[in-house]
Amino acid sequence: MTDYLSLNIEEINELLKQKKIKPLDLVNEAFAKIEKSNTCAFITLNKEEAIRKAKELENKEVDNVLFGIPIAIKDNISTKNLRTTCASLMLDNYIPLYDATVIEKINEKNMIIIGKTNMDEFAMGSTGETSYYGSPKNPFDNEMVSGGSSSGSAISVAERIVPFALGTDTGGSIRQPSSFCGIVGLKPTYGRVSRYGLVAFASSLDQIGPMTKNVKENALLLNVISGYDKNDQISSKEIVKDYTKYLNTDISNLKVAIPTYYLNEKIDKTVKNKVLEIADLLKKNGVTVDIIDIPYLEYAIPLYQVIALGEASSNLARFDGIKYGYKAKDYTSTEDFIRKTRSEGFGREVKRRIMIGSFVLSGENAKIYYNKALTLRKEMTNSFKKVFEKYDLIIGPTNTDVAYKLGTKQDDALKSFYDDLLTIPVNMAGLPAMSLPVGLKNNLPIGLQIIGNYFKEETIYQLASFIEKELNLKIDPRGDKSC
Amino acid sequence: MLVPVIGIEVHVELKSKSKVFSSSLNDFNAPINTNISLIDLAYPGTLPKMNKEVVDMALKAALTLNCKINKKMHFDRKNYFYPDLPKGYQITQADTPIGYDGYLEIDVDETKKRIEIERIHIEEDTCKSIHVGNETLLNYNRAGVPLIEIVTKPVITSSKEAILYLEALRENLLYLGISDVKIEEGSMRCEANVSLKEESSSVLGTKVEIKNIGSITNVGIGIEYEIERQKKLLQNGEKVTEETRRFCDKTNTTILMRVKETGNDYRYFPEPDMAYIELTDEEISDTLKSLPILPNQLRNKYKQKGINSNNINTIISNKEICDFFESIFDLTNQVMSANILTSEVLSYINKNKISLNETLLTKENFIKLIELLEKNVITTKHCKEIIPIMLEKGTNVEEIIKDLNIEVITDDNFVLDIINKVINENPNSVKDYKEGKDRAVKYLMGQVMKESKGKINPKDAMDKLISNLNNI
Repeated sequence: MTDYLSLNIEEINELLKQKKIKPLDLVNEAFAKIEKSNTCAFITLNKEEAIRKAKELENKEVDNVLFGIPIAIKDNISTKNLRTTCASLMLDNYIPLYDATVIEKINEKNMIIIGKTNMDEFAMGSTGETSYYGSPKNPFDNEMVSGGSSSGSAISVAERIVPFALGTDTGGSIRQPSSFCGIVGLKPTYGRVSRYGLVAFASSLDQIGPMTKNVKENALLLNVISGYDKNDQISSKEIVKDYTKYLNTDISNLKVAIPTYYLNEKIDKTVKNKVLEIADLLKKNGVTVDIIDIPYLEYAIPLYQVIALGEASSNLARFDGIKYGYKAKDYTSTEDFIRKTRSEGFGREVKRRIMIGSFVLSGENAKIYYNKALTLRKEMTNSFKKVFEKYDLIIGPTNTDVAYKLGTKQDDALKSFYDDLLTIPVNMAGLPAMSLPVGLKNNLPIGLQIIGNYFKEETIYQLASFIEKELNLKIDPRGDKSC
Repeated sequence: MLVPVIGIEVHVELKSKSKVFSSSLNDFNAPINTNISLIDLAYPGTLPKMNKEVVDMALKAALTLNCKINKKMHFDRKNYFYPDLPKGYQITQADTPIGYDGYLEIDVDETKKRIEIERIHIEEDTCKSIHVGNETLLNYNRAGVPLIEIVTKPVITSSKEAILYLEALRENLLYLGISDVKIEEGSMRCEANVSLKEESSSVLGTKVEIKNIGSITNVGIGIEYEIERQKKLLQNGEKVTEETRRFCDKTNTTILMRVKETGNDYRYFPEPDMAYIELTDEEISDTLKSLPILPNQLRNKYKQKGINSNNINTIISNKEICDFFESIFDLTNQVMSANILTSEVLSYINKNKISLNETLLTKENFIKLIELLEKNVITTKHCKEIIPIMLEKGTNVEEIIKDLNIEVITDDNFVLDIINKVINENPNSVKDYKEGKDRAVKYLMGQVMKESKGKINPKDAMDKLISNLNNI
């Protein structure tokens, strides 16, 4: 089996340009790798169409660096004529009539969609285990969780099935699996990437982002998917920079903050030490690094439970079996039909979250919970803003620890949220943040989280490219895990 | 003494080109399920797209109703499950209605009264459910049609005031050009909240909501019925329960639909898929300046020209005729034009069940007609014959006169000869006239017109007849 897809994107591009390989070779390699893999990374393969497209591209000029490159798409992003399930029985038979804006953008670059990746049902979870299609597995150790909810996207990049994947992040769903699978995942600033075509979980938090094996390729993909979209009126008109321009530029003027909360007792020692090691490395290279207090960060999880689940309870109301998706078979009335469709079509975690969300918005509860959460969210946002008056970046661990065993947290409603302890604050404030692999613990990857100011993804890339180069790790689950 | 306290909620469909949150055409009457899009069908991943035209129209309505404007407004989700609600929530404005604290002035028995408006907000319509046997069919053409909801404070004290308010509201919205406001077709929907209270007390009674009222007249009938029903209950020592009742136009009564449960739980929260809308002072003042001339302004203008109030009301309640009248207003004799428009022209279009725009009437032809009337070339009597031809065939009025062989003889001697002949032949009537019997002059005048075969100007002839009689 060939292994072109492990190469850097420039190398693959050069091979394509010189016609040493064809897009079809890459597509065939991707499907061969999927066949061999047992990580349950994909829900639906796009084999026929991918091969057709690869052949069609043979007659076209290789006009950009992403031309003919395979990409995997999280299964909550709408792909025309390609089943989009959100890993739920509810949408098991749903074939969209339209492409999400990000899909139109990658199609313009002639990238080739390989398939739709496994995830937590409706992106609700941190391990992928709530998927209707079976639990995805960590490529470093198949007994371990891959992280989630963008599980399959992280796995497929880690296993070098594809160089690129799109994930979505509501409370950490790009960064956490990226951290557990040892890849680079970025959640852009809220509004940087159009949400049109992303099946909503929590509208005010959801964001699509790039997942790749290295920093440069991450920047390349963000270049493509960013920008204002008239179909998403919340998307930003802020100009899109060429994020690759900031890679490997001088970092000595940067000021970096580490929140005390990101070094608290819930965080594993090895992980904490890794972050402090990086801090030392940065200091040695002229970067100012201060440990500071950021108030309100500790409220992230309750805030998330109120705001994200409140929004989710409303966003998921459209799945009533009338227009598309799963339909209950035996029913006595329209009301009974809707009730049965939703009871049968949604999984346990989704139903649990819809119930909590409905509760917090209900009658007087709205004042007690939802409105209070919105106030607190503003406070948290303001405390981040204050930090960014003085600092360029915030760093800390992505997770409290590395990946853990499958089946250990699934039935503990509260515990599963604690995976997102360090990632949720970023979504609450709408900031951009990356998880960057910085080492291993017990042969499982550790992720460093780098949080930037609004629409300053370039500064994240600037620092990440430096750390990546300095550490020069080869974190690859298939071997050569020298660290 | 028990007195009624009434509040009215009106939903009005705006006639914007496209729907409020998608680019589907806003035309409910198109073939079923043809004006639909992925957004209207709530496909997973779609997002609402604000139609600016709808905001402009709602702003016009809010300003016309003298409302304060929320310069920074957002939308909210109203969550409930119903088959006609594609998203499982309706996008509406709960917290920041575009307009609030306004009023509309009405004339109640020659006194002006301000009906206070609590709020006016923008929202989307649902699908139309059609029940066929055991099946419910859905027409999504209506899903996402823009609505404004206008809510009064509980300040209306009688069915008469309610009717006057609704007529004035309808007229204003019609003249703004933002809605067809046709109750029969559902582009205007009225609900009345009725309660009774002791006149001396400030405590409001339990209110009952009346829905499904198909005309303004029926709003009045429904309110009257409800007042009586509640009075009887209270006088019998029973309680009024908070409930929603349906108006039945077959029996002219209200029928229980559902008893209000302890507060509907719509789980409102701000719509996170839409940005705040900000209206600048400039935008607001520009819109205010661009408002068309409204019914009350027209009333004053017509009054000043000496048009009688019946004709004024008839013209204003027929917007097409009013538009036509306005287009010729400065080019013609307004009083005569008003007379002809409200009589012959209106009766022709009513009889043929068409609109004025569907006739071949032109401004020039109508102006000429009035000019000929003024010059006594024709009489108002002739208009009965002339108007239908003008409207149906568009024939030039002078040609019509020729074809119909209409001739008005203005020769004084011809007129006087006839008058003298009639006086000589009817000595008894002349005697009656001299004795002060008014009836006599009408009889004599009839004889004059008969003798002249209708070819003389009646007003001129009348003047001459009276003068001759007085000289005898």
